[in-house]
Amino acid sequence: MSAENVKKFISFDALPGFLARAAEKNAVYVPRREGNAVVYRSFKAGDEAELGVRPTESCKHVVFPRGEELFSFAREADKEEPGKRRLVLTEASEPGAAVVFGALSCDARGFLAFDPVYNGSGTGGTAKDSYYLRRRNRTLIVVKACKNALNTCFCNWVGGGPASPQGADVLAVEAEQGLVLDILSGEGTAFTESLPAASEAQLAAAAAAVKAAEDSLPKAADVSAAPASLAALFSSAEFWNKESAHCLYCGACTYLCPTCYCFNITDESDGLTGVRLRSWDNCMSPLFTLEASGHNPRPNKADRLKNRVGHKFSYYPSLHSGRFSCCGCGRCIKSCPSSVDIRKIVLDAVKEAANV
Amino acid sequence: MSIQDELKSAITAALPDVSCVVGWGAGPEPLRAAPLFIRGEADLEGFSAGFLSVNNPALYLPSLKGSKVGVVVKGCDARSVGQLAAETLIKREEVHVIGYPCRGVIDVDKVAAKLAGACETGEVAALREDGDDVLLNTPKGEVRLAKKDITADKCGRCAFPNAGNADVFVGERCAPVVTEDGYADIADFEARGLDELKAFWEQEMSRCIRCYACRNACPLCVCRDQCVAMSREPHWLSQGDGVRDKLFFQIIHAVHLSGRCTGCGECERACPLGIPVLKLKRALSRRVEKLFGYKAGGGDTPPLLTFLVEEPTIKERDWK
Amino acid sequence: MSEQTGATAARPVYKAGTRNPYLPMPAKVIEVITETPTIKTFRVVLEDEQLMRDFTFEPGQVGQLSMFGVGESTFVINSPPTRKEYLQFSVMRAGENTTALHSLQAGDTVGVRAPLGNCFPYEKMKGKDIVFIGGGIGMAPLRTLLLFMLDNRKDYGKIRLLYGARSPQDMAFSSELPDWFGRRDLECTLTIDREAEGWQHKVGLIPNVLLEMNPDPNNCVAVTCGPPIMIKFTLQALEKLKFAPEQIYTTLEKRMKCGIGICGRCNIGDKYVCIDGPVFSMAELNAMPNEL
Repeated sequence: MSAENVKKFISFDALPGFLARAAEKNAVYVPRREGNAVVYRSFKAGDEAELGVRPTESCKHVVFPRGEELFSFAREADKEEPGKRRLVLTEASEPGAAVVFGALSCDARGFLAFDPVYNGSGTGGTAKDSYYLRRRNRTLIVVKACKNALNTCFCNWVGGGPASPQGADVLAVEAEQGLVLDILSGEGTAFTESLPAASEAQLAAAAAAVKAAEDSLPKAADVSAAPASLAALFSSAEFWNKESAHCLYCGACTYLCPTCYCFNITDESDGLTGVRLRSWDNCMSPLFTLEASGHNPRPNKADRLKNRVGHKFSYYPSLHSGRFSCCGCGRCIKSCPSSVDIRKIVLDAVKEAANV
Repeated sequence: MSIQDELKSAITAALPDVSCVVGWGAGPEPLRAAPLFIRGEADLEGFSAGFLSVNNPALYLPSLKGSKVGVVVKGCDARSVGQLAAETLIKREEVHVIGYPCRGVIDVDKVAAKLAGACETGEVAALREDGDDVLLNTPKGEVRLAKKDITADKCGRCAFPNAGNADVFVGERCAPVVTEDGYADIADFEARGLDELKAFWEQEMSRCIRCYACRNACPLCVCRDQCVAMSREPHWLSQGDGVRDKLFFQIIHAVHLSGRCTGCGECERACPLGIPVLKLKRALSRRVEKLFGYKAGGGDTPPLLTFLVEEPTIKERDWK
Repeated sequence: MSEQTGATAARPVYKAGTRNPYLPMPAKVIEVITETPTIKTFRVVLEDEQLMRDFTFEPGQVGQLSMFGVGESTFVINSPPTRKEYLQFSVMRAGENTTALHSLQAGDTVGVRAPLGNCFPYEKMKGKDIVFIGGGIGMAPLRTLLLFMLDNRKDYGKIRLLYGARSPQDMAFSSELPDWFGRRDLECTLTIDREAEGWQHKVGLIPNVLLEMNPDPNNCVAVTCGPPIMIKFTLQALEKLKFAPEQIYTTLEKRMKCGIGICGRCNIGDKYVCIDGPVFSMAELNAMPNEL
């Protein structure tokens, strides 16, 4: 085993100090308990990271902020022509580096659904989203492997697992009162440089923990027919009305989703100055596709839920080598106020399409 | 006959005259039910009403307008039906209301607090009711919890457990938990100074992701599809991630609901980030009650709506 | 990326490899033409002279016009790439941004992000007869291709234009119509929905006038754009005239934001109107989910 592949260990006792030192250099985001929720917060010395309970939200906002300035504009007085104003556009400043410590494995995989859209490779164009890419490139992700599955977890349906290393710089597995760290990138190597190598016993305990976590997941359902099934059901209003009947069409599923990447662009202006803002948007909202003429191609919640499920399990895979834009984290199910279950919709679609 | 069977009979009896009956069925995990749209007897199989019947089925009624529908309601849900009818947002005669005595519903967050350290609620493999307790199968073994410890706060101040306006009521009416809502739940909150409250809300709203689950879970929110939270004309709110805009929306929502909110608490329950947004509505309800002697949900026209029942500029009847 | 199914040109390359694709290019409005009570045409030049010199696009490509502080909306560049002294956009007043755009005067600054989207497959149309069928503001995208073809006249066969509007007052590009009528290499037919005083052209709905014109589908391509209801009946008329779906092209509108295939709102199934369109053949549209 080469030196780079040596797994490291950090005890839970040493973790706060380690995070505090990291936070001196970069913004470090850790899951924190707040009220009944667990959210990613910027770590400050003395904070306690919540690594036991799965975060309510994903960490996508670290790379894809909920509201991000694209540029600012100002109409400045023109020195040469008094009384006239000159438009000045200023691009948003470069973000700093960041670390997410304690992301879930599904969250890290979520960025893999973003990447081909935002780097242009999956759309056939060369339009690269520099705002996303620079944050993505400067964000180090330490995944904390899950110890077991929740009722709503289905990462194994879509190619993931509780300790999947995909998308992670470091994979941390709980063992022997600490974390065994599998280093997966050069940035990960630098981040964990100060830590000691894991012992044989720690490695064995970590391997056993991963095995137990994987075993806790029920067998994956076969959703390989989903793209064709959903395409076949596009015009089945009855199917979609039924599946969407209890949906409230709020944006909770979308905004908690590690792979939902759609956004809005709005100008937020204060007279002579303002910003062009990119903010999260969601396809469950009727305003998402409402045209200025008043026409809306998706007027009903059934149309919109169909698009959401269709995008994840049919359209996106057809554009991106069969990959689903769903990482199986189950947050859309767990936090849905009306208990909509995307697994059920996909399975119902496969079943329904087989019958027609 | 058990309440479940009586309710199923009442639903079966209603089905020929309605396009569907909204009730509750199995949810995605043992602690959660899901709203169930019963269109035929085959759908009845999954029906169940009781401790897990958290969702307010009155929410769906305005979108089902135009044909007769049935709805199974708890006492608090019935207040929403009454309010919707009082505001002519639904036609009361288009709704067949089936009531039953409600003895409170689960608050999953309270279960989470009870299980903290042992496991997450998402790890509970099964729930079984045992009299006043529930038994949970968890990875750490069976856990017994008293229902009263994991019942929603609103149930602890419930004065209307039996749907007062039901067309059909099954089971024995149960005694209200309280006869008068004393607003004790917000007493501490209202005693705080403005600076303290501002700091409180800034902290709470900093978690808001602007998903508007609070708004869309509210049975009385009528203009969600034209909401000022997202509209450009008028452009009152920025789409930025700032606490100011987020709190501003909550205040707009609460003010729109003053004298209309029946306190069903769905806004707060729907919030995935656990922001206690019901407090704002409760604070206004207390004032309206004091000012006008009016309690929303009883079927009378709300005091703040008597000057104009229909706002000509709000397309309040078209949400889907 | 799935294979292109129809005859549309390959996906455009937004020439933004080195540029921030969200940053508009400031442009000066040099002329405003009031076309109809609700349509204005804006001629703009990019303020950066080098960018203006280097700016290239294909007929049918679109651009986003920015009113800073209000927002952006998508419009076709309706001047042809063969005439480069300015870029022309025609804007129908409908929402917040178009209302703001209508306040522009010569000398004002707007932002331009362009070119975006695909274009009409003008190469494949070479040697063929062309029938343009435009309704109302739908004439704008046809104008760019029409003028491009007129500027490359020998490459194309017979060119016919059927342009309709509700009334004479609703007819955009009216100042150009005498010139189009004066050309011997263009057959021009105008129609309005209802009789109007002084109107010397056809009266009747576009699809009916089209049937009257009775264009021969043999070696012919139809290019149409207009309001949805007009498109619907025009397609039926073209079908009656025995035009195959592969011979019919149209250009779509959707609510768009990024214009570069990322923000996710203009999709129809797995196609994004901003990068796979806006130009589609009927054959392509028939293969897509029905969600217009």
